[in-house]
Amino acid sequence: MAEEKPLDFTREITSRLGGETITRCYQCGTCASTCPVARITERYNPRQLIRLALLGQRDEVLKGDTIWLCASCYNCQERCPQKVEVADVIYALRNMAIQEGNIPAIYMEFASGLMGEGRLAPISKFLEKKRAEYGLPPLKPANIEALRKILAATGFDKIMFKKEGACP
Amino acid sequence: MEEVKVGVFLSDCGGQVAKILDFEALTSFVKAVPGVVLVARGSEFWRGQGLQTIVEAVKAGRINRVVVAETVPKISEVAIAKALEEAGLNPHLMEVVDLKNHCAWPHKDAPKEATEKAKAMLLAAIEKVKLQEPIEKAEFPAVKSVLVIGGGVAGMQAAEDLADMGFQVYLIEKEPFLGGLAARAVRFFPTDDCAICIQSPASLAAVTQTSRKCVYRSGLSEITNLNILTNAKVVRVEGGPGNFKVTVERKPRYVDEKKCVACDLCASVCPVEVPDEYNAKLSKRKAIYMNKPLVYPPAYVIDAKVCKFHECAKCVEVCPTKAINLDQKPEHVTLNVGSIIVATGFREYDPSVIKEYHYGEYPDVITHLELARMLDAFGPTGGMPIRPSDGRRAKRIVFVQCVGSRDRRWNPYCSSICCMISLKHAAMIKEAFPDADVTICYIDIRTTGREHEYYYERAREMGVKFVKGRPSEILHDPATNTLIVEVEDELLRRLLELEADLVVLATAMVPSEDAKELAQILGIELDQDGFFKEYNAKLRPTETKRRGIFICGGAVFPKDVPTASLHAHSAAVKAAKFLMNGKITKALKVATVHQDYCGNCQFCPVTCPYGAITLEPKGDGHFAAKVSELLCEGCGVCVGTCPVGAIELRHLKASQISAQIKALLSVNGASKPLVLAFSCSECGNAAVDSSGMAMMSYPASVRVLRVPCTGVIQVQHILEAFKAGAQGVMVVGCKPDGCHYEVGSQKAKQKVEMAKMLLQAYGIEPERLEMFNLVFIEGDKFAEAAKAMTEKVEKLGPLQLA
Amino acid sequence: MTSYALFLGCTIPARQPHYELAARKALTKLGIDLVDLEGATCCAPPPIQSIDLETSLAIAAYNICLAEEADLNILTLCTGCFESLTIANRLLKEKRELREKINKILSNTGKEFKGTKEVRHYLQVLINDVGVNRLKQNVAKPLNNLKVAAFSGCHLLRPSELLRFDDPERPCIFDTLIEALGAKSIPYKNKLRCCGGLLRGYADDVALAIARDKIVNAYNAGADCISTLCPFCFLTLDLGQMLIKATYKEEYNMPIIHYAELLSLSLGVEPKELALDFHKIKVDKVLEKIG
Repeated sequence: MAEEKPLDFTREITSRLGGETITRCYQCGTCASTCPVARITERYNPRQLIRLALLGQRDEVLKGDTIWLCASCYNCQERCPQKVEVADVIYALRNMAIQEGNIPAIYMEFASGLMGEGRLAPISKFLEKKRAEYGLPPLKPANIEALRKILAATGFDKIMFKKEGACP
Repeated sequence: MEEVKVGVFLSDCGGQVAKILDFEALTSFVKAVPGVVLVARGSEFWRGQGLQTIVEAVKAGRINRVVVAETVPKISEVAIAKALEEAGLNPHLMEVVDLKNHCAWPHKDAPKEATEKAKAMLLAAIEKVKLQEPIEKAEFPAVKSVLVIGGGVAGMQAAEDLADMGFQVYLIEKEPFLGGLAARAVRFFPTDDCAICIQSPASLAAVTQTSRKCVYRSGLSEITNLNILTNAKVVRVEGGPGNFKVTVERKPRYVDEKKCVACDLCASVCPVEVPDEYNAKLSKRKAIYMNKPLVYPPAYVIDAKVCKFHECAKCVEVCPTKAINLDQKPEHVTLNVGSIIVATGFREYDPSVIKEYHYGEYPDVITHLELARMLDAFGPTGGMPIRPSDGRRAKRIVFVQCVGSRDRRWNPYCSSICCMISLKHAAMIKEAFPDADVTICYIDIRTTGREHEYYYERAREMGVKFVKGRPSEILHDPATNTLIVEVEDELLRRLLELEADLVVLATAMVPSEDAKELAQILGIELDQDGFFKEYNAKLRPTETKRRGIFICGGAVFPKDVPTASLHAHSAAVKAAKFLMNGKITKALKVATVHQDYCGNCQFCPVTCPYGAITLEPKGDGHFAAKVSELLCEGCGVCVGTCPVGAIELRHLKASQISAQIKALLSVNGASKPLVLAFSCSECGNAAVDSSGMAMMSYPASVRVLRVPCTGVIQVQHILEAFKAGAQGVMVVGCKPDGCHYEVGSQKAKQKVEMAKMLLQAYGIEPERLEMFNLVFIEGDKFAEAAKAMTEKVEKLGPLQLA
Repeated sequence: MTSYALFLGCTIPARQPHYELAARKALTKLGIDLVDLEGATCCAPPPIQSIDLETSLAIAAYNICLAEEADLNILTLCTGCFESLTIANRLLKEKRELREKINKILSNTGKEFKGTKEVRHYLQVLINDVGVNRLKQNVAKPLNNLKVAAFSGCHLLRPSELLRFDDPERPCIFDTLIEALGAKSIPYKNKLRCCGGLLRGYADDVALAIARDKIVNAYNAGADCISTLCPFCFLTLDLGQMLIKATYKEEYNMPIIHYAELLSLSLGVEPKELALDFHKIKVDKVLEKIG
């Protein structure tokens, strides 16, 4: 695939909700140093991820494994001296990846849960019985109609069915 | 008023301008204007024979007003004015018109129309000058004495310069001893000279007797005219430039400087011991103390916060020269100075707010100033870097750069000198202790000055390690009492946990804690980071917007010692220039208030960018505005603000504005609708000039009325222009953040907005009025704007005035 | 009697009813009136934000609208819900353009975000509405200096600019509330570091390694238990110990216990009323220690 011009990918990111601050990064490495995932595995380094994005490596970023390894702990965003919203930028990158059909299986499951019952975790009959045993009130159902209207308005449902080539 | 006799001198620029403009027609036109008694045409009138012609006419009494069409307007104005003055005519009774750049060149494709415009331009100049009254010069006293606030490197340099030049100098310092921050630094980069040495430049009076460099040997305190007051702060400033009355408060020293012989007997018997802040609390001092090894003044001082005074008084008993007076009170000293120089320097940012680094919590996390005291052979550890927690020598030392600098959460700027300081300290440590393990964690290494890169080379040669990465956290392992620095080595792409005995934070450099208060007392500005703001760093460095008050050194922005020296000398020269004649002579091109009209609305004192307007009681219980002739810069922003027209510029009265508006629009002959452009005399006019100089073309129906600053424009001027025949009005001023009078073009913008609303209310299209902010290099934009405005107004059709 | 709209989210009611049970009992004892929110959906936590941020904001806003209509502030148990709803509440209150955009989406459901209500975590309600002193007075069975490794998780504290719950570097609210119960909140390595929970399902090995670190650090500091606020943290550390045993062949037997459960116990609720059988790692040692 042809080399993307760096500025275009950068502009794509900065024009998205969550991605606005990526260009502030001056590669100091604070995020990588404070990241619990980076401390455990070499597979992930948020500083390097941002660098790849700013250099326009669209495919590597959006089709790769790295963006899915953030644990959303927000340590990076908290300590960044340039106030780059690192965790939010990664959300934006994930949003972009999913829009292009790169969605890991687990996220498909989350989405199905949401679109199905309005909850991430469906409740089982066993649990309902247990709740009653302990005197907990029965679980009120979510307003699934309202939720589906929201999902339709944002195009969430269309995002979900665009899955081509799930990532590793 | 005497009879007005106008002489008009038309220069045709060696015939060039005459090729486009019909000079015959111009001459006849001008001759017919009432009040014109003499018209001459020539090649040049601002020098040589041409200038002589003007001078002779003046001397002969034939003319008492002068209009010159000349081609190098700025230079010619000055030359002609000078000649007129020498000939006995008030130099403000003249006007120069640039027929070349404002008419011939830009309209050379339409010579007939250009000529008509030239007529209008000349008419406007003639009408203006007819209404001009003489403007006198005034002299204001300039006391040949200077107050220097701050006794650090910059302050001492500036003070010494001025004292040598013969000015009376008061050098005040809020601490009990001179030296400031730099005195604690041990050595200065890039030469590794000892800190004490660099503090004194060559002294004129003593050059044969003292060392050229060393304050220890230069006898700074013995320079005549140099009065040093320590323990002193400015509390009030009254008066004005050339004649300030400054009230200085001196905290009591309790020790008479003239009697103290620094024998140390007092300290030896003093029962009170406290941590020594000067030595980063690594050692103790007594309540009565003197910083070592060498200070000015060489006299002890009592710390009033901890001394027991008369409950103890042991020091008084033992002092051999009876120098101690425990009853000394603070005193107020009033100084009369002509000029003030601010040299209050900077200080280290307190990094305790950056909680992830645990400064203030872990004793082995320190700053550069604290390390400097350790590395000083005269210091509390005799030159050895130690761990404050257990006193042992620190072997593994990690420096962290950009602590609180380049950080949007704390101080967004780069503090400029910390990389060099770390390299300096790292090398000093490695030199004295080759087995030390020194690592510098950095984002960038900035060694931009002369000879600075060699520091970086040397550090690498000495085995200092560099990790490109900003530590996210400093941890402490209680089992081993070791610090752990968590950082990513980006170049290795490896996460490190560096073990350290001592962590040195290169913390940011921020303004002195008194900067804000001092800025308010002096009436000068701070920039967004809290440092004192220069008027224009490029062309007027070390000046502020208040004449007579100058700023230099670290107080303006963190800088190294060589640069601080340079800066100090600059401020000294400016102060000297300002005061050297013993008086300030100023042409009174200022605003004046018609006190009877003034309604005391208080708008003008607030808007004046120079604080030149005050409210004075009129005696009948009312107040009226009064303009300080010394402080007024003649911009006219006050004029633009006054709702009743009670304030007027002597060099541009309301009647002169009206006359010019009428004149510029009276001679039409243009094929296009007339557009009047009010242009300021700074950037705005520069843009008009440059469009002409580059021969860019725009319609001759665009006529330019020059004002000092667009801030002088009122809504009524705009309406007047429309009434007088303009189909469109342009306002051309400086960029909003670059107005040469601070706020003028922003104020103009507000008037333009108001005028647009009024136009709409009258049923006139508001697009007929536009404001443009241009600079000199945007001549093309002016030409485009003029063309676009004309086209727009053409499309809108003729103006329907009810 | 302060009333709050109880926002339960998805995970607690469906997977960890012991948290809900303990919280209801404790808060009711302390005089907090909990009103169930009719029709509340998922709060749109990180897994949904990863799919689409705009949708997540709209969903969170929808839930806040329910509370606005009921004229009640929201009380959350799960810190993930706290983060999602608080951030949405703050962003939409402060940014006009964003609010207009989200309200346009919400109009499809007949709701409009007005920004009239607040989102609170139950710890905030304890500190502000109940107060440490009244809490101490209500403690019937002090926890006998139980050594608690306090673990609030990430989403209570960060991003601090938006959550403004506590000092992100030196938080003390959670520790204060633990000590108010008569327990000791002990220092331990990397106390504020994430448990890795959100990586489960995508990179289980990485998630497990991070969780193991937390268990080891608490263990090495001599903790009797780890106290949690987030159901994901609970799952990762509690169930996680079974996985650690299988993968690393290590057993730590570190009880993981929600603060709400400790709170209930200290207020005098009997262990048998608390559904403690939902814990994979048995909490008997804790019960013994507190008597």
